[in-house]
Amino acid sequence: MAKNISEKIDELKTGVEWFYSDDFKLEDASEKYKALTTLAKDIEGDLNNLKNEIKVIEEDFSK
Amino acid sequence: MENNPQQVYTVTDFQAVCNQILETAFTGVVVEGEVASYKVNQGKYVFFDLKDDNASVGCFMMLFAQRFPLEDGMRVRVRAVPKLTNWGKFSLTVQQVQPVGEGSLKKSFELLKKKLTEEGLFDAAKKRPLPEKILKIGVISSTQAAGYADFCKILNERWGGLTVLTAHTQVQGMTAADQIIRALKYFNEHGEVDIIAVIRGGGSADDLAVFNDEALVRAIAASKIPVITGIGHEVDESLCDLAADIVASTPSNVAQMLTRDRREVIASIKADVKRINNLLNTKIDDLTEVNRNEITRIAQEIYRKIETIGADVSSQIKILAQLNPENVLARGYALVRGKATLGEDIEIETQNEFITANVKAIKEK
Repeated sequence: MAKNISEKIDELKTGVEWFYSDDFKLEDASEKYKALTTLAKDIEGDLNNLKNEIKVIEEDFSK
Repeated sequence: MENNPQQVYTVTDFQAVCNQILETAFTGVVVEGEVASYKVNQGKYVFFDLKDDNASVGCFMMLFAQRFPLEDGMRVRVRAVPKLTNWGKFSLTVQQVQPVGEGSLKKSFELLKKKLTEEGLFDAAKKRPLPEKILKIGVISSTQAAGYADFCKILNERWGGLTVLTAHTQVQGMTAADQIIRALKYFNEHGEVDIIAVIRGGGSADDLAVFNDEALVRAIAASKIPVITGIGHEVDESLCDLAADIVASTPSNVAQMLTRDRREVIASIKADVKRINNLLNTKIDDLTEVNRNEITRIAQEIYRKIETIGADVSSQIKILAQLNPENVLARGYALVRGKATLGEDIEIETQNEFITANVKAIKEK
């Protein structure tokens, strides 16, 4: 199932934190950096294309 | 009279016919005037006169229908049905009453604010924060209002993926409060939105008076779903604002408070990626520096050891040189070989010569 924007943003946040954590390994950094760059572009695309759905309720509140 | 017969009414019938005519002629007439002789009987019946410079008419209403505090001297607008009472007195049966004019509105606002504050309706402890995740927003507004258009514009600019369900209601006038109350009830009964936004753009004090309606203020305070208000401009304060969980200054501000700005999120993501890039470069530089320092340290250690070993060798060479017999001979000493026996020859070695000598005497030392 495709991830939604919030999940992608959370994933990006976790990925960024890895670079500041004790788990950081230079050998893995390049690959992780590339993956995060791709994820960031993906999120940017999603955000720019996201639309709201605005519906007016078919209820007559004057009565 | 006998030649020209006319219908003869009983008094009761006549009064009934008059009321029928009045009801037909004035369905929900709106009359504006000043309140005089205001009083409440038995805790439920309200009587007052509505007057201007030239005329006065008696008014009657039930206390529960009175949604704004009234006092003598207040200017009000009433929606009423004219009626001829059983005692032949003409009066207005008031369905709704609303203060008009800045002075009356302010007075009514202060009276109701005091009453509801004392009841604890506006207590800070009752306020709920914005829900953490907002996916569905219930909006109560007039879809024709500029404030609603502003709200939608800002919402769409800032974020997406939200569902907005709009309850179209009047947002000013005498029927607006009841419509907004019905919309609040609708959202609370259906329970499908995360928050309810009551929005209305700027207007005069009269236009915004509906948001000081007691029943509406109570409905907002009683809502099971958190309510955010964005009514009028920043300077406007309504009792609905005081009763709401969250107050925004304008409809646009409601949209700002309910959403993140996608441009800020994108900028933040780009900044994160750039920061990681810088961090990575710094880490590589740091590790390179560490390696460089380590190599320098090892080289220095090797040089130091070589120097130590060199010095040690020099020292050994000096010791060896001191132990060389040639050096002893050079200081004037001689080396004697052979057995010290009387009459026997021995060999004497000096720095420059070998001498053969005969042992002529041996003495104890």
